[in-house]
Parts: sequence; C-alpha cells; structure tokens
Amino acid sequence: MSRPDPLTRLIEQLQRLPGIGAKGAQRLAFHVLKTPREDVERLVDALREVKDRVTYCSTCSNITETDPCFYCTDDSRDHRMICVVEEPENVTAVEKTRDFKGLYHVLMGALSPLHGVGPDDLKIKGLLERVGKGGVEEVILATNPNVEGEATAIYLAKLLKPLGVRVTRIAMGVPVGSDLEYADEVTMHKAMEGRREV
Amino acid sequence: MPVYTSEALILRTYKLGEADRIVVFLTRDRGKKRGVAKGARRARSKFIGALEPMTCGGVAYYEREQRDLVRINYIEPSRSPLSAIGGSADLLGHVGYFAELIDEWAQEAHADERLYRLGSSMTDAIAQGAPVERLARYFEYWILRLQGVYPAIAGCPGCGEVFEHGAVMPPRDDVFLCRTCAPPAGGSALGSEALQFLKSCGAIAPDRLGSLPLGTRAAREIETVHRRLLNLHLDKELRSTRVLREMRK
Repeated sequence: MSRPDPLTRLIEQLQRLPGIGAKGAQRLAFHVLKTPREDVERLVDALREVKDRVTYCSTCSNITETDPCFYCTDDSRDHRMICVVEEPENVTAVEKTRDFKGLYHVLMGALSPLHGVGPDDLKIKGLLERVGKGGVEEVILATNPNVEGEATAIYLAKLLKPLGVRVTRIAMGVPVGSDLEYADEVTMHKAMEGRREV
Repeated sequence: MPVYTSEALILRTYKLGEADRIVVFLTRDRGKKRGVAKGARRARSKFIGALEPMTCGGVAYYEREQRDLVRINYIEPSRSPLSAIGGSADLLGHVGYFAELIDEWAQEAHADERLYRLGSSMTDAIAQGAPVERLARYFEYWILRLQGVYPAIAGCPGCGEVFEHGAVMPPRDDVFLCRTCAPPAGGSALGSEALQFLKSCGAIAPDRLGSLPLGTRAAREIETVHRRLLNLHLDKELRSTRVLREMRK
C-alpha cells in the first residue's frame, strides 16, 4: 500500500532533524496524524514563532528575542568580564551557578579540524573587536574540556593576551560528588594541575 | 554475541540519537571498527574523557552478526592527547589531522598493527609536547611509507645518482628525481636539509624528533611535497588541512 504524499513529505522532513532516523520519523509522523488538530497547530505556531522571533545578538551571538540581548544591555552586570562559551546552551549552564555576573560571548562552535571548523567559521572576530574597544579586564575561556575546546581556548588566549586583558580558563578535574577511585588518568592529571591552596 | 577486547586508538565520534555516540576506532588486531557508545553524551557517562581523538586505551565490544556497528562495552583510556604538557593550539589542532589521516587509510576489519603503532606513538609524542611541525612531517612520511606510496629518497630512479644536493618532484609525477634528470621548470624541490630530515625520520622514534634539525624553509619544502602526495593518493584535500592553514595565519 502506498503512503499518502503529505505523510511521506512529513516523514522526509522529520528525518532531516538531528538524531531522528527513518523509524523515528515514521513514528513521529503517525503520532502527528493521530494528534488533535489544535495540538498540531500549536506545534506549527511554535516552530514558526521561533524562526520569526528568535535571533542572534549582534554583540555576543547569544540567542535572543531582542537585539542586543538581555545580558548585553543589563547595566547591573559586570561589563569588565566576558565569559566565552561554545554554544548558546552553555550560557544557561553558566547562569545556573548564579555566581557569574559578567557578560558572555558565544563562539557558535569550537575549532575542529576533523569536522572542518576553522577560526573563520567561529565568532572570534566579534570577540576581538569587543575586547579591543576597551573596558574589558578579564576574558574567561569556558570552552568544553575536550581536545577541540582546549585547542580553541589556547588559540583565543594567543589572540587576546596582546590586547592587554587577563585571560583565564575554567578549571578541569573530578566532578563534585564523584569518587577518586573511578577518575580516569587524564582527569586526575588535570585536577592535580589545577590544585589550589586551602 | 562474542565479546572482543583489544587495544585501540579513537579516531572520531559522531552524535547518535539523544545521548549516544558512534565511535570510529582502530584496534591493534582487528582493524578499524565503528561502534555505538550508549549514553556517551551524558554528563556522568563512563565514556567521558575516553572518546577524544587519538586517545589510546583498552576497549571491549560486542560484535553481532549482520550488523556493521559493534556495541562498545567500555573504553579504558591509558594515554590521551589532552595530557599534553604546555600544548599549543597548533599541537592540539594536529590531533584531528592525525586522526583524519589514519581514518582515511585504515581499513575496516583489516588488521594493520603498524598503522596502529604509528598512531599510538603519535599520542605519546603529543602528550610529551613534541615539536608539532617536525611531528606532522614525520607522521606524513611514515603513513605514506606504510601504504607503500612514498617515493625513494636514497637516489634518483632516472640516473641512479645518490641524492646529496637535493631532489625535485616533477609537477605531474610522484617520484623524486635529481636536479639533472628533473624537468627544467616547475616541480617541488627538496633541499639537502629536508632530505636529511626525511632520511633520519626512517630511523628514529617520534619522541626523539626534538633533536633533529629542521629549518622553516626545509619544513615548508617537505610539507608541500607531502601535501601533493597525500592529495594524489587520497584523491582529495583533507578537511583538517584547511583548518590548520587558517589557524596558522
């Protein structure tokens, strides 16, 4: 039995989403078919709205409804500190700590030779311009603690230091609540390297 | 479902579903494999820190009949490029370059212990902060040699003369000729310093590269020749090559 064209098109479109395979797309499409019309319309509206209203901040590249974003325009935040992260969702992770009151800069990725992502593909130029304008005293490099994130941090540090700004890197080591017995060699090495006096 | 354990070198990973990763790894005794690391993207996953490219370690995996993907049980990292002492962005950038080159040349389910040993020695050299330029040229020399496509550097195949004052790779050829036999124009030249470096590469381990002299000009000469050979035999330019070029600017 052949499938109706609209259903085939829906499956094809769903399959283009990350993490959705042929079976998953089919399951979701049949779910949409069984869902009441108003629920489907809410989903369609939400999809349309996110494309219409959510944009990227022209200053920090974070996602926002207004440009510049909430963080860049908030005078109560410390404009002398910029925390550099890879993706917009990393901003939420740092914000959860409620400790950091500075500004952000989202790179939209990390240097990844394996995936063909180079310096020109990241928002590095914007960061250098922000720091170059003056007023920034510290840049915190909060890229992921993996090979790509580390390469990005070292690369940025090399570009930022000549601008006369303090460049720091977030600490790496054993997670809170874990057991040292199960920590791997590299993590333990990094934890020892980043030890502090108490 | 048979369980296999082996020493392996992680080459690259891809996201799979919500929390998993597909891992491409080169085993010492069973060639290149692709497998699923369940939950690898979760914050407290047992695979955390073990899936970085060029990480060496013990791996256990299940193989199922009629399935291309194996299921990875655990990876116990023993050496990682992240241990690099005072590593530069260039050095860490080359991690991806080495992994991409090995991935291109390693064959699935075809054991190639020499390729594994080359990759594993690169991880050790990176962790010890080896000079990146020399390490990259050394790696290219050996990977091309292991594939049997590195042209002879001892003497000219045209006249048999021993290379003493350099050699030239003609524009549309993949052999080294002496300056007399080489066409008058074009081609990529290798000076005597570059040739001496390449000859030494054949005889020493990568952890001793620091003691080998290699000037900027000689390094560029070797890089040009190797790039030509790699592009010729892979029939494409690697993605990491472009990124490394941008990072160097």
